[in-house]
Amino acid sequence: MNNLKILLQLTKRSAFVVVLLFFLSLALPMPSSQNVIAGDVLAEEVKEGGGVELPQFEAGQSPVSPQSPEGQPAEGAEAGVAGGEEEEMAPVQYRAFFGMDSRTVVWIVSELHLMFAAFVLGVPIFAVIVEIVGFKGGDIKYDKMAKEFTKLLSAAFATTASLGGLLGFCLFGLYPEFMGHMTNVFAPTMYVYALMFFGEAFTLYAYYYSWEILKGTAARKWFHITLGVLLNLFGTGLMFLTNSWATYMMSPAGIVPATGKVLSLYHAFYNPLWMPVNIHRLIANVCFGGFVVGAYAAVKFLGAKTEEEKAHYDWMGYVGNFIGVGALIPLPFAGYWLGREVYSASPVMGNIMMGGAFSWTFIIQAILIGMLFIGANYYLWLGMGRIRGSERYTKFIKYLVFVIFMCFAVWLTPHNLPLSGEERAMIGEQYHPFSKYFGVMAAKNAVVNLIILSTFFSFLIYRRSNKGEMVPFSEQGRAGKIGIFSVLIFCLLMLVSYAISLNFVELEANIKVFVKPLIRALYIQSFAVCLAVFLTFKNRGKLAQAMLFGVTACIAVLYFWYYGFEVMQKANLVLRYLSVTQVSIVMSCLIMNAVIDIFMFRKAKLVGGIAWGKMPVRSQYALILLCVVIVILMGLMGFIRSGLRMDWHIYGVLQDTSQWAYTPTLAFMGRIVGLIVALFLGLVTFVFWLANLGEKKEKGVLKEGCELAEPHPEH
Amino acid sequence: MANKRKTFLFIWIITAVVCLFLFLKYASPKIFQVLMGKGHPMPTPSTLMMWYMIMGVLAGLVYATTSNQKFVDFLSFLLPDQGPRIKFFLQKIIFVGFPVLVGWFVYTWSIPGAASPVELRIQHPTLPQDFEKLENPFRQADADTQRRCIEEGKILFQTYCRPCHGSKADGNGPFANSFRLRPINFQDPGTIATVVDNYLFWRIKEGGPGLPSESTPWDSGMPSWKDDLKDDDIWKIIMGEYDTAGVMPRQREKLE
Repeated sequence: MNNLKILLQLTKRSAFVVVLLFFLSLALPMPSSQNVIAGDVLAEEVKEGGGVELPQFEAGQSPVSPQSPEGQPAEGAEAGVAGGEEEEMAPVQYRAFFGMDSRTVVWIVSELHLMFAAFVLGVPIFAVIVEIVGFKGGDIKYDKMAKEFTKLLSAAFATTASLGGLLGFCLFGLYPEFMGHMTNVFAPTMYVYALMFFGEAFTLYAYYYSWEILKGTAARKWFHITLGVLLNLFGTGLMFLTNSWATYMMSPAGIVPATGKVLSLYHAFYNPLWMPVNIHRLIANVCFGGFVVGAYAAVKFLGAKTEEEKAHYDWMGYVGNFIGVGALIPLPFAGYWLGREVYSASPVMGNIMMGGAFSWTFIIQAILIGMLFIGANYYLWLGMGRIRGSERYTKFIKYLVFVIFMCFAVWLTPHNLPLSGEERAMIGEQYHPFSKYFGVMAAKNAVVNLIILSTFFSFLIYRRSNKGEMVPFSEQGRAGKIGIFSVLIFCLLMLVSYAISLNFVELEANIKVFVKPLIRALYIQSFAVCLAVFLTFKNRGKLAQAMLFGVTACIAVLYFWYYGFEVMQKANLVLRYLSVTQVSIVMSCLIMNAVIDIFMFRKAKLVGGIAWGKMPVRSQYALILLCVVIVILMGLMGFIRSGLRMDWHIYGVLQDTSQWAYTPTLAFMGRIVGLIVALFLGLVTFVFWLANLGEKKEKGVLKEGCELAEPHPEH
Repeated sequence: MANKRKTFLFIWIITAVVCLFLFLKYASPKIFQVLMGKGHPMPTPSTLMMWYMIMGVLAGLVYATTSNQKFVDFLSFLLPDQGPRIKFFLQKIIFVGFPVLVGWFVYTWSIPGAASPVELRIQHPTLPQDFEKLENPFRQADADTQRRCIEEGKILFQTYCRPCHGSKADGNGPFANSFRLRPINFQDPGTIATVVDNYLFWRIKEGGPGLPSESTPWDSGMPSWKDDLKDDDIWKIIMGEYDTAGVMPRQREKLE
């Protein structure tokens, strides 16, 4: 009843806001209408001229005098004397948003849209996986949780779409010339986008609302899962489409830069940065979704009234964190690939990013990523407290704290330190050894790999906490042998095939010699993986894991830290191969050790189960912190990716001549990103609250009959 | 007995943080002096010192709160208890020492003093678009021509650049000590090896006066050589400079 009242009040207020907006819209002048028509007329003229040639933009053309909103020249410009009729016919380049800075408006709206979109695209990926796990394992709790994820999703979907619409209107209204260019290049893909959006909406609602209907038989459940997979396909397709527009702005292709004439839509679409951004965003969305869901569970945990509710949301928070960390582990690799491709697309843009105007934003990024890893590990360590039997492994925590914080220290040490004149004089040269050896990419790559290995180790001891002594591998049956052999073949294929391919890279002879150590490292790792399998078969699985960790750390962390410096100085082209080698070696260790662990403890007795809900409150604040950090990180990285274009709408092709064409200061960036984060968290809280309104009522009615059973003790 | 020992977690963490401070303040400058063969210690910069100390304290707090039992042990040190005399003694030291330490920090930060401001440096100013597409005309030449250009470049480097950047391109030229920000050590892998050679062309040609308006104020004593050197000479200097420093320019990568 109370909810009904709230809804009625909301409806009344909404009606009031709508009426107010209507009167405001009548009262406000509509200054741009004539210009829009003028622009349309011009477009018609262009069309009559034939072809899809765009307004002429000279690459490298010096910026024309800054334009004020409404396309009028800035004060003092001579062009202002043009006759009235000609003025009306002039195409509009820029408009202002009620006197506000258009760039900031678009920045805020697009980032909010992106954050909601990341959630809407990331959550279905793991919702479907959780549903499949529940279905195959026959555990209803997974199914319930997957549905709860989807409930949040459907609530956020409408907001994402609304923000997307607002962004579209802002772009077309405030940057008509730029959007004219984009439309001319990408018009066909925009129709596809609209169609896919229908697909996304239909499958999402079908997926959510048919949840209960499609229960009962395996065929029905598989049909429901298929709907979820389709939802993911549509969502990923949508993201890939829009990514092509965004990356085209950074690395334009398929057009004549001087005239903007479209030569190949395919190349404009599949521009150099498209795939790196696709992969990076796909993984980041899962990570983002996982941490946001984790924070949702944490808030629910903190407000839980019963032990059952606490147990449920504790488990949900754990799953959210698990998903977030799982996606966080490959994210630095994807980010590094994207960074390398930015360098490849334009060395200037690369230098601006890592060594220039944006280098300090990467220090902030380093702090945020460090906080994510520390927060996620901290949550796992606290989680061990609710597992009886974890005492056997807590002794490792102090070493993990030491290693992770050491790595974090190296990770955030800048190459260019803020120094006072006195310090410079005392040091006697430009770089202090800390910044010289910790501040470059070779060191960063090394420590991030060590953080990843340490995080993985934390997870291993967490999952072992509940297990008794391992069962000898010889008693694991054929499944164990087949499983380990399959993974061995996968790892060998990954390592050896890459080692062989490195023999054939086209490089000058004096540079190619630097590839040889990489090939040797890959073969050594292959041997270590084989040895690990051999030891596992001889019932020495723990030794095998330790050996593999040791070899991986020696090669991927210590040796490549040193060798990265060597390559940086003499053969930068080899850095690309070095990073892939590093990733392959670390991934092979993670995969093989995970599989060995699974089979070693597959039939082990449980020590005492997991007391879900018995988590200290600070663990839930850690989950909330992780969510806030990932949101800030996404806001920051959005600024960097977009800001790298400096004063170009489309890098090197279409220059931004508006009065806002400057790179904001770090302070201004901090304020806007802070505002975006606050807006997003506020909106998402509101949307989740709305999504739970119905549930409260349902619970009130069904309280007697409904029983929230304990989650599965295995997890 | 074991429990009583655990109540000293607070002290262990303080000890670890103090050790970190002593290492950064006193040990590391000496270690780097020896390792790098310098005639003077290499003091840890204050900004880095602050960051590392914050991380040290944070690491201690994270560790102390990783389980309820540790957290209780950690806090229990501060509570009156029937512990050994040493605990009683250490408690008194902390209760007196902590306010004194805070007071000392407040005092040292607030007393008037003269110090040059700490600056956020940007390593690579933004290369103007006009220079991005330039190619070194001698890089594609045959091996003999390249060798000749490098040798000519080395001579030009020693003539024009050595006074500041040093004969080994290590930033230790005869004039180097006269600059507030010393000339760049080109042997360092984080400097010219990380940029394409047309970046150097821009820096040599335009120098400090040609630095962009973003990220100002710049702190560069680099002169503009465009009125004194021909473009071909600048390209040769770049080749000679890389050769002297023993590093290679960043090469343009093929997009994958």
